[in-house]
Amino acid sequence: MLPGMQWLELALRVGAVTVAFLVLPLLVGQTEHKVMAHMQARLGPMYAGGFHGWAQLVADGVKFIQKEDITPRAADSPVFKLAPGVALIPYLLALAVIPLGPGDLVGEPLDIGLFFVLAIVGVGVVAVLMAAWSSANKYSLLGGLRAAAQLMGYELPFVLAAASVAMAAGTLSLPGIVEAWEPWWLIWQLPAAIVFFISGLAEIRRPPFDMPIADSELVFGYLTEYTGMRFAFFLLAEYVGIVVISALTATLFLGGWHGPMAESLGWLWMLLKTAAVAFVVIWLRVAWPRLREDQLQRLCWLVLVPVSLLQLVLTAAVRVAMVQS
Amino acid sequence: MTVITLADIMFGAVGLVAVGAALAVVSTSHLVRAGLWLVVTLGAIAVEFLLLRAEFVAWVQVLIYVGAIVVLLLFAVMLTKAPIGRSTDLDRPIWPALLVGAGSGLGLATLFAWVYASDGISAPPVGSAEKLGQNIFRDWVLPFEVLSVLLLAALVGAIVLSKKDAKS
Amino acid sequence: MRPKGVFGVSVPGSGLGKGLAVTIKTLVTRSTTQQYPDVKPELPPRSRGVIALREENCTVCMLCARECPDWCIYIDSHKEEVVVPGAARPRQRNVLDQFDIDFSLCMYCGICIEVCPFDALFWSPEFEYAEHDIRNLLHNKDRLGEWMETVPPPQPHDHRGEPSKEEANAAKKSGAA
Repeated sequence: MLPGMQWLELALRVGAVTVAFLVLPLLVGQTEHKVMAHMQARLGPMYAGGFHGWAQLVADGVKFIQKEDITPRAADSPVFKLAPGVALIPYLLALAVIPLGPGDLVGEPLDIGLFFVLAIVGVGVVAVLMAAWSSANKYSLLGGLRAAAQLMGYELPFVLAAASVAMAAGTLSLPGIVEAWEPWWLIWQLPAAIVFFISGLAEIRRPPFDMPIADSELVFGYLTEYTGMRFAFFLLAEYVGIVVISALTATLFLGGWHGPMAESLGWLWMLLKTAAVAFVVIWLRVAWPRLREDQLQRLCWLVLVPVSLLQLVLTAAVRVAMVQS
Repeated sequence: MTVITLADIMFGAVGLVAVGAALAVVSTSHLVRAGLWLVVTLGAIAVEFLLLRAEFVAWVQVLIYVGAIVVLLLFAVMLTKAPIGRSTDLDRPIWPALLVGAGSGLGLATLFAWVYASDGISAPPVGSAEKLGQNIFRDWVLPFEVLSVLLLAALVGAIVLSKKDAKS
Repeated sequence: MRPKGVFGVSVPGSGLGKGLAVTIKTLVTRSTTQQYPDVKPELPPRSRGVIALREENCTVCMLCARECPDWCIYIDSHKEEVVVPGAARPRQRNVLDQFDIDFSLCMYCGICIEVCPFDALFWSPEFEYAEHDIRNLLHNKDRLGEWMETVPPPQPHDHRGEPSKEEANAAKKSGAA
């Protein structure tokens, strides 16, 4: 059994991760509201909360709670109701192992954190399939099938790019990778970083990879039949997904908490880098059109996979050369 | 007499979940739900690996089996035929299945109990990635490579099957 | 014609770059959105919002009502005799009884204001007089008179524009003389 102090510490860590899980997606969502609006020469929300609509997402949450909770009569009710939870939990767990700062500033320092994150993010697709199939709606099913095809394709470059940086660092632990990171890796691991970011975008089904949702052709894809809190959970999952992918990109390829005065300000650097990547995620949504299904698969198999394999070769070569010398 | 620890109890409980879910996989008449029960089974097995301190194997289990294989299976089921509700036309011979399943299960159980009854296994070392890598690529590299040849053969076979035959 | 990129060769992906550039440029440019109900718009002084009536200038000449293309001005009056001490006969003058503009018909052409010979009608930039009932859009002379407060002072003449007719005539006369 754990002594009292350790229980307290555990509770503190779980609490901190939960707070991050609840607050960071809202920040990203609000930023998306405002950034997207200004990129389209609009103002975005201006009323809720008074100052520049800062409480818009809180108001949205209140609205979602008030909505009727509808399960279609033809739907497979238990699966339909379970899917939003299954969509949300993997990201919560993933947030727990991403290091925020040097030393012990991480929810749970796992020896093979990288592998854990990759595995758990991959589980999200099960939720998509559950939602798609149980809705008893042809648009939902089409969206789900597109999502499954997309996620299984992009899982490969996603894992390969992450493997490259793990090879470079010689460890699978996320704090270990950040520890081993050096600025010149920015160039050495650049192809892997780009591949990882692109396939990460595809993993969380963000535009330009939102073929499974594609509201101009599939109503709202696998989310068509969802309303109220269950829909809100799916939305929350999408924004936690942005946080997780941004934080992972920052951790693996941008040096995590490295920066001036990293000992005391490491957490700030990590948050800033994550925010910068999240901004790019939003930016791409505004600027780029959706990829067609065949373009999507072509990009994955003919560009990303070969690039990530070449990067693996490069990483191995440089690594061996470093060990030899 | 060994002391039953919390880990032992959890191991048993999770094992029950795995077996129960596995039974649900083969007994449910909802096709897609069978696939979802498979997720539960494989997830429970991953937890068992965790309880045995084989973290790496556990997460490989999640990544490959839950994240890829079951998804592929569900994908295929949904692509071909995915009715919501019971399917009445399932071809499920109960008795042969029961015989084979129970037979192999009981056989394996007695085999292991018989082999390890007298001498207990010493606590396994933590299944870290490093140890696993050393095992696979140093001690067991030949079986590993043979396995990959098998996979390659399957891959070639899949390509041949899916290629449009010019002659016919 | 597809636009050509660098050196006349279209670079693959240049469209993506352009998309990023346009969006980031728009992001850092100030948005021109008007916060209307919270912030009143700054309308130019010659905006055609509503027509105001200076009742004491009106002589009931009926020019406005007659020129109005969609007949939305209703005028009624009676004659009054004014006894001027020392004059041979009492004078007659028109007294305005009714001056209504139906803004549900008005098309804001401004002809009535142009033709008014006695400066009784003015444009005001006020525009917040929507009504729930269309009949309330018929403004009577009191309501039209209230708009007078909102009429901006006459604008100084644009020094690069054409000179006014009066000025041009005066110049012609002095030049001819």
